[in-house]
Amino acid sequence: MISKLLAEATPSFTWKARLGNWRTEVFAGLVGAMLVIPQGITFAYLAGLPPEYGLYCAIFVTLFCSVLGSSSMMSGPNTAVAILIGTAVLPLAGRGSPVYIDFVFLLCMMVGLIQLMFWLARGARIFQYLSPAAISGISAGAGFLIIMSSLDSILDLSTFKTTFFYEKFYVIITDAVDLVNPYSLAIGIVTIAGGYLGRRYSPRYFIIIAVTAGYLCGLLIAFIWPQPVTELEYLGRMPLQWLPINIPTVNMEYLMISTKLIPYAITIAFIGLAQSLVIVRELKMETDQDINLDKEVYAQGMANFLAPFFSSFAGAGSFNRTRANQSMGATTPLSGITAGGFVLILITFLGPILTYMPMAAMAGTLFIVGANMIKWGDIKHYAQVRSELVIYFSTFISIMFFGLAAGVVVAVFLSVSVFMLRISQLELKIESGVAGTVLKVKGALFYASVAHLTEKFHSHFGEDLTVDLQYTTHIDQSAVDFFVRESRHMAAHGARLTLLINDKQRDFLKELGAGTDIHLVSL
Amino acid sequence: MKISTGFIFTALLLLTLTPGHAQQNQPAIEQLLKEPFLDDYYSNVVYGYQIITDTQENASRYVGNSLQCSNCHLQAGTQHDALPLNVAGMYPKWRAKNGKRNGIGLRIRECFLYSMDGIMPPEDAPEVLAISAYVTYLSQGQVMGAEPQGRGVPTLPDTGYDPNPANGRAVYLAQCASCHGDRGEGIAGMPPVWGFNAYNKGAGMNDIRKAAGFIWANMPLGNGKSLTHQQALDVSAYLNLQIRPADPSNSKFLKLLEHLLN
Repeated sequence: MISKLLAEATPSFTWKARLGNWRTEVFAGLVGAMLVIPQGITFAYLAGLPPEYGLYCAIFVTLFCSVLGSSSMMSGPNTAVAILIGTAVLPLAGRGSPVYIDFVFLLCMMVGLIQLMFWLARGARIFQYLSPAAISGISAGAGFLIIMSSLDSILDLSTFKTTFFYEKFYVIITDAVDLVNPYSLAIGIVTIAGGYLGRRYSPRYFIIIAVTAGYLCGLLIAFIWPQPVTELEYLGRMPLQWLPINIPTVNMEYLMISTKLIPYAITIAFIGLAQSLVIVRELKMETDQDINLDKEVYAQGMANFLAPFFSSFAGAGSFNRTRANQSMGATTPLSGITAGGFVLILITFLGPILTYMPMAAMAGTLFIVGANMIKWGDIKHYAQVRSELVIYFSTFISIMFFGLAAGVVVAVFLSVSVFMLRISQLELKIESGVAGTVLKVKGALFYASVAHLTEKFHSHFGEDLTVDLQYTTHIDQSAVDFFVRESRHMAAHGARLTLLINDKQRDFLKELGAGTDIHLVSL
Repeated sequence: MKISTGFIFTALLLLTLTPGHAQQNQPAIEQLLKEPFLDDYYSNVVYGYQIITDTQENASRYVGNSLQCSNCHLQAGTQHDALPLNVAGMYPKWRAKNGKRNGIGLRIRECFLYSMDGIMPPEDAPEVLAISAYVTYLSQGQVMGAEPQGRGVPTLPDTGYDPNPANGRAVYLAQCASCHGDRGEGIAGMPPVWGFNAYNKGAGMNDIRKAAGFIWANMPLGNGKSLTHQQALDVSAYLNLQIRPADPSNSKFLKLLEHLLN
């Protein structure tokens, strides 16, 4: 066991053997780096941090995850994780202040530790119980939150940043002329329009087209009107370091306060792993990569734990970047490793140009990302099954009104409930033949499903009853107790209960005390 | 019913008797710097103090030149006649510079735009909030609306002569160049006073009379008030003639070019 854990904990580099053309991988890494730069900056904004932290996250979390992992998944800054970091730490300190950043680092270390605990407990299987509808619902809800927070920057509503969306709508509708900054709105609209037009011609790089359109529009506006008039918010200079080593502040006072962060840390750890594992499982199904799910859990956990030491926040697998990576033909972690390096190089050269990047252009790309996360196709797809649709919409609506953390809880609860309901359903078939009434039971017999049997027993009260348990997958103590009780009750009224069982079940039933009162027939 | 009215009465009495929550004896900044953990307000005060004393390190996002706030707000904004920062009680007020009612936030943001030749931070930028907290901390004990003692820089009396830049150049080379350099570039940690790393043409220091008041009261550093009023005016006029970044509210194209090249 320990040697297995150790093997998972060390970088394996077994992918070297199936490395076909390293040029494809490196080029995929370059594209990944270009895609992650606007995302890193905007997700840092969602998490309430200065933009350089998002870029560090794009460099180091991606790098660690690819070195330690075994798949071509692109990890790094993630929308849902960034939003949750923002909502978790905002009550404790002012946005972006040094104390805020300290708490973010503490939270990310907690997330990493919890994910490592998941790894030790072999927790990767748990995520199979989260239904795909729930994951789509969470993703759509996160998309909604992203659109709302992008509206803050596009319309320049800095005083209404934390209000509920319906209040925000009300304020925008009633007071639009006074509150909305037309310059910022113009840049936002140009960015979004650029994105949607660009997608028609280049579905892979449309985010970059959108950012460029917004940037040029911002330059035009800065050329016509001075900043004191436009009041535009710019990205500003980013003080980037090549190796931003940072030692997180941990002391007694911080730890006392950070107990408030624990529920959020669990939620972030859970939602981060859920997304990463969905991506990895898809990769495993679609490609011939040799992927170990537990190793991926370890890689993500370790990357998040180490992130604060390199001035970055926690991340998770990214759907859109992994898909781009895959379409470029990358099949090994090498693309992720090179992506980290390319971000560093690109940023060093782009830094001065990015200084004058309007935040409205960044928010415009956020808007596009958010709108892409709410898919009409998903709703149509899940509309076929009612329970799936209920999960999807309950998750989405609870995220709209109560935030992402509450939505995740609802999603998990509903998926598990639906799963339990389905499992506790028994397939019962009654056959009346020469040997009396035979009740065939298919499914698992346990405390939740025994109730279904009761009804059948009552409707055939006073008759001899044979229960065929050959196709029952599982029998627990409460089911055995039920049979014992019923057989005594029936014996008192002159009827007899017979159980048809196989050899395996016989030993088990006798152990649980079913030998004396019930007539057991092995087949 | 009786109990509740009695309770409300006592509560009201207590409320009127308790002094406001503003601390009269607030901890010194050196003491705050040593604390391992601070609440939200004091952590922002400390961050604001760090921005004022080391702007290049702590607020580099919005800074375009190589100045620190404390180059003009001497002693981290606590020295009289050197633009002290204990002015929270004076805001909001109307200012002719932008023709608007200015809160302390807008005043700080304009400092970044003009004196620091950078980008105007958004209203809710952490840097702006931290400096606001520090200004509030320094203003503790001042009377609302009243002008604190030694505010801004002294206004020099009329000397009867026009400022003479040629004479100013001689004074600059004799008295100032040892720290600020022959070409105004700033030597060994001293701030540049012209060139593209100094304040821009929209800054308050580009006003000859204000700069003269500051120079007379505080320069040469540690030996303030040693120049005559006329010498201070001459040096100020000399500085005003030198090349420096453009005023962002006038020449947009030049400003944009400067920002893109920097």
